[in-house]
Amino acid sequence: MTELRSVGIGQIIIVRAPEPLACIGLGSCVAVIMYDPVTKLGGIVHVLLPNAPRSSPENPEKYADTGTRKLLQEMLVKGARKDRIVAKLVGGAQMFPGMNLYVKDIGKANCTEVWKVLRELGIRVTGEDIEGSKGRSAYLDTNTGKVTVKSAFSDRRIL
Amino acid sequence: MTEEHAGRVLETIREFANIGAGSAATALSSLLDLELMNEVTACSILPLANVTDWLGGPDQVVAGSYTQLCGDLRSGILVILPEHSAKTLLEHLTKEDVDFANLNSLQRSALKEVGNICLCWYLIAVSKMVNIDMIPSPPDATVDLLGAVLDMPLATLGAKVDTVLAVHTCFKGIGREFEGYFLMLPEESTLKLILDRMGDPKG
Repeated sequence: MTELRSVGIGQIIIVRAPEPLACIGLGSCVAVIMYDPVTKLGGIVHVLLPNAPRSSPENPEKYADTGTRKLLQEMLVKGARKDRIVAKLVGGAQMFPGMNLYVKDIGKANCTEVWKVLRELGIRVTGEDIEGSKGRSAYLDTNTGKVTVKSAFSDRRIL
Repeated sequence: MTEEHAGRVLETIREFANIGAGSAATALSSLLDLELMNEVTACSILPLANVTDWLGGPDQVVAGSYTQLCGDLRSGILVILPEHSAKTLLEHLTKEDVDFANLNSLQRSALKEVGNICLCWYLIAVSKMVNIDMIPSPPDATVDLLGAVLDMPLATLGAKVDTVLAVHTCFKGIGREFEGYFLMLPEESTLKLILDRMGDPKG
């Protein structure tokens, strides 16, 4: 079997079953995970910031608004169908709450923006593990569409 | 940036970071009563997505103290300790057993304070060298996956750029298992200012 691929900041990776996919070490970043249960296509975009500075940025994958849209487009190109795609969200924590006077809660802003875009696109969200103050890693099983979320210290959670 | 130019930039920044980290390691040495040695600074210009891999992968558990400069110079600066070193440090300072999953407020505060001291000594040294006042925000500390710890510093930079200059200076305890590193992520305008001042000793 091939090595487990992990989606880095500002990247989109789409794989087909049985290849698994992961997004490791999410803090305030959000992993938007899309899955089509019929074609068994799974894709993840790892977004860093909520909003793109202009409508067509150089790397749309970095932002929650443009990244989520681009992930859907690429899923469709690879053969997924929009009415079958479900989404799961992981991440969006506030890692340094003690600095909240100086920097705003980027994690929460990322989650809000992803939710807004998914609602506009009409994509169903079937699971989320977001916000709080703990980092997470997400592992997508493309055979089942299940997402396992692990933190540094707590037990794993299945979405 | 041409390759030759990039090489010169990295050389200058390496010198800058060496001096900062040297000063911070001295402060940490006397706080911990333990001899520390700095290793040569590594710096690299990397896409945002590759920073955690450059530092050994996003899934290691680390203790990170983070501050941001908010004057003329703008940069995120972190002190990162691998799990075992942070545990050694906390047990040494607080004289109690440390359970990383549930740090109590004293332990968390000790971690912040160690970060604060290191960061300030780093800044004192480099600020003297380039003759610019540096104003750090109050630091905060957390224990988590490296990828998660770096998200906010990268997000702060990532709003403007896709590639960052990351500067990494490792320190090691002599005769004792203790290590960690400083990580500096300067904004582009800050980088220019530093290069400017470093190139002109009179300025």
